[in-house]
Amino acid sequence: MIRLVRGEFRKLFTTKLWLWMLLGGIAMTAMFLGFTIAFDGAEGNPQPPLSTPEGQRNLFGSVSGAGVLALILGIIAVTGEFRHQTVTPTFLATPHRGRVVIGKLITYALAGIGYGAVVLAFAIGFAFVFTSARGIDLSLSADGVPEALAGVVAGIAVYTVLGVGVGALVRNQIAAIVGALVYLFVIEAFVAALPTIRDYYQYFPGGANAALTGTSQPGVELLSPWQGGLLLLAYGVVFATAGTRLAVRRDVS
Amino acid sequence: MTAEAIEVRGLRKTFGAVKAVDDLTFTVPAGTITGFLGPNGAGKTTTLRCLLGLVGPTAGTATIGGVRYADLPRPATTVGAMLEASSFHPARSGRNHLRVYCTVNGFPDRRADEVLELVGLSKAGGQKVRGYSMGMRQRLGLAAALLGDPKVLILDEPANGLDPEGIAWLRGFLRGMADEGRTILVSSHVLSEVEQTVDTVVIINKGTLVRQGTIAELADSAGQTVLVRGPDLDPLIAALPRDAGAERVEDTLRVTGLSTDEVGHLAFTARVELHELTARTSDLEQIFFALTSESGPVEHFGGEGETR
Repeated sequence: MIRLVRGEFRKLFTTKLWLWMLLGGIAMTAMFLGFTIAFDGAEGNPQPPLSTPEGQRNLFGSVSGAGVLALILGIIAVTGEFRHQTVTPTFLATPHRGRVVIGKLITYALAGIGYGAVVLAFAIGFAFVFTSARGIDLSLSADGVPEALAGVVAGIAVYTVLGVGVGALVRNQIAAIVGALVYLFVIEAFVAALPTIRDYYQYFPGGANAALTGTSQPGVELLSPWQGGLLLLAYGVVFATAGTRLAVRRDVS
Repeated sequence: MTAEAIEVRGLRKTFGAVKAVDDLTFTVPAGTITGFLGPNGAGKTTTLRCLLGLVGPTAGTATIGGVRYADLPRPATTVGAMLEASSFHPARSGRNHLRVYCTVNGFPDRRADEVLELVGLSKAGGQKVRGYSMGMRQRLGLAAALLGDPKVLILDEPANGLDPEGIAWLRGFLRGMADEGRTILVSSHVLSEVEQTVDTVVIINKGTLVRQGTIAELADSAGQTVLVRGPDLDPLIAALPRDAGAERVEDTLRVTGLSTDEVGHLAFTARVELHELTARTSDLEQIFFALTSESGPVEHFGGEGETR
């Protein structure tokens, strides 16, 4: 299994996809944080001000938005093998396909942690530079902020693992990525916005992730961070298990 | 190197209503090169994929040295396989592609350079596969198959897309691999690509076995013509068995119903001087077409499952 994980890391780092995804995540983070800091305290902004712990939790919690790129990285980890037919030598080298998928899950959980940590480190630096320019005091030890920071990294790691599971289920790369994006930005946004069903948003992956990072949204109910984290992990396990079971049974031709 | 035999027994694979492989049985004796022939869509690739555990057979078994591929303890050291012409990430270099599988199999990284050298790709190893020609991709595929120095090689249409020079290189390469005692199963839809390289052929059509045997047996079976040229051929004509046909044009004799081996032996025992002894290969191609254009009765040559 160590060899499989090392092999997967080697696959990951011998193309440039990881670098683009990381730069994309950093750019997204700069955009989220830039807007949040620029409009802090502006008239009509419903968000809690950055001078409060709640505002700071939301600021850092928004970094988990970069998780969408981690999800795509996880999807491509599997669908890319089918797209470029490298799945043939991969399954030839390791005929026990369950081991291949488990190796990918471990690899991308670790890669997701690394990805989240790098993006978060950038976000913290970015936030301190720009908030001090505006005369706002940030504190990483403010109420709930350390948990939010850990939640961001954990959430991104679980999103990466979710991506591997989705990729194993939907082997077509375009379909898997488009499907995931439509789900996250259309279906979940719809659920969170519609008053009659928004109470259920907390049980969706996006809602669980919001709970994990301690992010608050006006009018949307969320689970506690622990519950959210466990629920998100459960989604990851379900997708990964289903993806593994399917990958083992399907013909590769 | 102790080679392993490949055995396919009653193999059947259906995709929906389509019978890709239908009750296919054949053996590739250990240490031989066998051509796996049939027109496109005959079921060659499906058979090879069943053999390698990539496709689950509907019925029957396909084993290597008596073991299913998935049950081999270290598959890369037993079987090297090359299936699609391009199973590489376009943005990864050829060397890195090989190194990924070195890592997974626990081979040292220098093994990647060794196999690149073997297939003549040392210089291009650092380039991204995107820039490789078809011939270079085939070579990289071969290099990947050789990583574990396997006893068995399974190659699906390795000559596809190669120029004549590449095909000549491939022939020599396969011969060298077989001389080291490997069992090689190489598929092709063109008989002439493999005819000079293989010991035996397995011909399938519409998922079923049409014929198995040596090239010479295949030639004999359909009245293969042997061209004989010499200054005085009368003693040879006299020595030919009755059921053999002979037609003489000036100093050339066309013999049917005998192999080159048999005609050569007759000439030797009759003390006839020969200037030429040739099997008419174009006729072999015609036999192949005849066998695969319509599915004839199954015939076995050399005994099913016999190990040579």
